[in-house]
Amino acid sequence: MLSADEAADLIEAIALRQDRVAFAALFRHFAPRVKAFVMRGGTDADTAQEVAQEALVMVWRKAASFDRTRASAATWLYTIARNKRIDLLRRSARPIDTEDWLAVYAPEAEDADKSVLAGQTYTRVKELLVGLSEDQLVVIQKAFFEDKTHTVIAEELKLPLGTVKSRIRLALGRLREALEKDET
Amino acid sequence: MSRHPAPEELLLDYAAGTLPDGPALAVALHVALDPDSRRMVDRLNAVGGALIEREAEAALDEAALDSVLARLDGVAVEPRAQAPVRPPGFDWAPAPLVPHLRPGMGWRRILGMFDEIRLDLPGSFHRVSLLRLEPGHGLPQHKHAGYEYTVCLQGGYTDETGNYGVGDFAVGPGEHRHEPIADPGEPCIALIVVEKPIVLTGPWGRFFNPLVKRGLI
Repeated sequence: MLSADEAADLIEAIALRQDRVAFAALFRHFAPRVKAFVMRGGTDADTAQEVAQEALVMVWRKAASFDRTRASAATWLYTIARNKRIDLLRRSARPIDTEDWLAVYAPEAEDADKSVLAGQTYTRVKELLVGLSEDQLVVIQKAFFEDKTHTVIAEELKLPLGTVKSRIRLALGRLREALEKDET
Repeated sequence: MSRHPAPEELLLDYAAGTLPDGPALAVALHVALDPDSRRMVDRLNAVGGALIEREAEAALDEAALDSVLARLDGVAVEPRAQAPVRPPGFDWAPAPLVPHLRPGMGWRRILGMFDEIRLDLPGSFHRVSLLRLEPGHGLPQHKHAGYEYTVCLQGGYTDETGNYGVGDFAVGPGEHRHEPIADPGEPCIALIVVEKPIVLTGPWGRFFNPLVKRGLI
């Protein structure tokens, strides 16, 4: 296993000295997980592996822009893998990498509330996921991992669309409330 | 703080990466301008990170690592990302919009009523435009066949549903007619993402709907 701090150290080592040993350690931890994450969406193993490999190359390229006070390593990797998945699955003539515009926070947009440490949010989110009801966890997992619209999720779970939406709202509400309580 | 934030389910779809390009750009601009929504997206991304971390490892052989390591010789570690450089006249553009702007892009006057810049998102099923309205001026009364997403980027506007300022987000099936009017002050600039061609319902409709349907305006 790799702790959040260790993972952040590895990314910083790449940024500072193009550390290939650090890269290999990150790759061994995250690439198989990213591959599994992409396969959940119904993507074949080869394409999922390509997404994982491309995501890790992007980690190498963008390592200097990683900021551990803004996002944990796993969170940052999640956003990179998500963007790579979008780019590779659409395969259209996209002149702009999704990475370059989707969810990129401009360095100029410094948050006043940066003191809310990203690492804490991440650790707390991990705990909160364990505390969600099975019903709530399933809808969140499907929404995240399976690249499905709420309508498709509703069909799969044989639930009315309104029920899926209210479960998602409930789960999000619980997350938000718990995190806001921590932050005040 | 925004008076009209994007709905949380939409932020979830954005964080999950399941929105089509047009609506994703609208949410990206809202998130860039609205600290509360930005925090919610940070949290949702953390959920994504936590879910990845919980994931069991899929089989991946050492050869996969070797082939990536071999490629790294030709891949530079890029310097830390800098604030994007905006083309002249686009100082108001939030960062995620900048990659979509081209030098020489200019406003086009439509029907003598408002200015438009049509953005090109290849493969997008949506029409994505920047609109600029002079204070006190409005868009012709219209309704939409599909969903419409609006983010206010400069100035403000008012319609039947309320008053919208910078960063505010509006989404909805446009079954009800609406007629936004720009507030006093600076010209109002907004990103509008429409699923299907809008249908003009006012007296102008008869003349302009055929043009709208052909994507001319």
